[in-house]
Amino acid sequence: MKDKDKNSENLFGEFKKGHPFRVPEGYFETFADRLKVRIMEEEYSTRRRSLFTYLKPAFAVAATLAMIMLLVNIPYTKFAPLEKEYITQQRDNNDATDSTGTIQSNLISYFSDDQLISAMADMDDLESKTISTENLADYIAANYNDYEIIANN
Amino acid sequence: MDLKEKELIADLKSDRNREKAFQQLVKTYQERLYWHIRKIVMNHDDADDILQNVYIKVWNNVDGFREDSSLFTWLFRIATNESLSHLQKQRRHSVVSMNEMGEFLAESLESDAYFDGNDMERKLQMAIIQLPDKQRIVFNMKYFDEMKYEEMSQILKTSVGALKASFHFAVKKIEEFIKEDLK
Repeated sequence: MKDKDKNSENLFGEFKKGHPFRVPEGYFETFADRLKVRIMEEEYSTRRRSLFTYLKPAFAVAATLAMIMLLVNIPYTKFAPLEKEYITQQRDNNDATDSTGTIQSNLISYFSDDQLISAMADMDDLESKTISTENLADYIAANYNDYEIIANN
Repeated sequence: MDLKEKELIADLKSDRNREKAFQQLVKTYQERLYWHIRKIVMNHDDADDILQNVYIKVWNNVDGFREDSSLFTWLFRIATNESLSHLQKQRRHSVVSMNEMGEFLAESLESDAYFDGNDMERKLQMAIIQLPDKQRIVFNMKYFDEMKYEEMSQILKTSVGALKASFHFAVKKIEEFIKEDLK
């Protein structure tokens, strides 16, 4: 085999031993710097990719929920208008209640503090007065005759 | 593996000295690796891309380097594999068959602005291009780089006997090609 190798070298002897390729000027001098930039770019894109991979399940859950909401909401609003009307009516009623409350607060502000305190004292007085059976009998005796009492029973 | 190389590998694996050691690794092997790749893919732009990919792989995987071979062998193995997969990708994308690959590389060589060989050199390169990938790599490593078969065996993970046979067949084919061309 050694002889064969030597023969081959003789055969190619007419060729200049060395390759005929060349490189752009300064290629090897600048290669290390260009490589450094490329490595930094690769690392940056890997970090971005890994962040996306980390958040991917969260994105998937959010997208699924949005899709479900959309799929439920569209038929609901399209095919259940009566429900919608009911909700609108309820909302109007609530608004009306709110306006009653506003009237009450305006009315209270109309009276002075003294007037309000005396009115509340009268209400306390009213609560202390209870209606007994005797009082009721006296009231009936005074206001109705015997015929009216028997006819109502 | 000598002491200097062991130190370099240790630095490459340490966080503190990694960048400096990597710069040293690039400076030491960039030219030899470049010419090895260039002779496989022929074109300068492709060779430049592949060389960068080789060093990026080394940067990302140096922690996993088991040190059962020398750095030189490891780097050359990565460079050879990257170059071969580049050719395979080109075959897939341009639907170039095994037989047409020679023509494809010849066109690549003709269009390369950084090829300035004379007629005889061009003829030799055209003959080399016609060889199957593995034979071409073996021929280049033996004929141009004058690499020992034992070293080639470690890089290409092929037995010395098979490498000798590959080189022998490559020489025969080149002889025939050149004789045909001279007729």
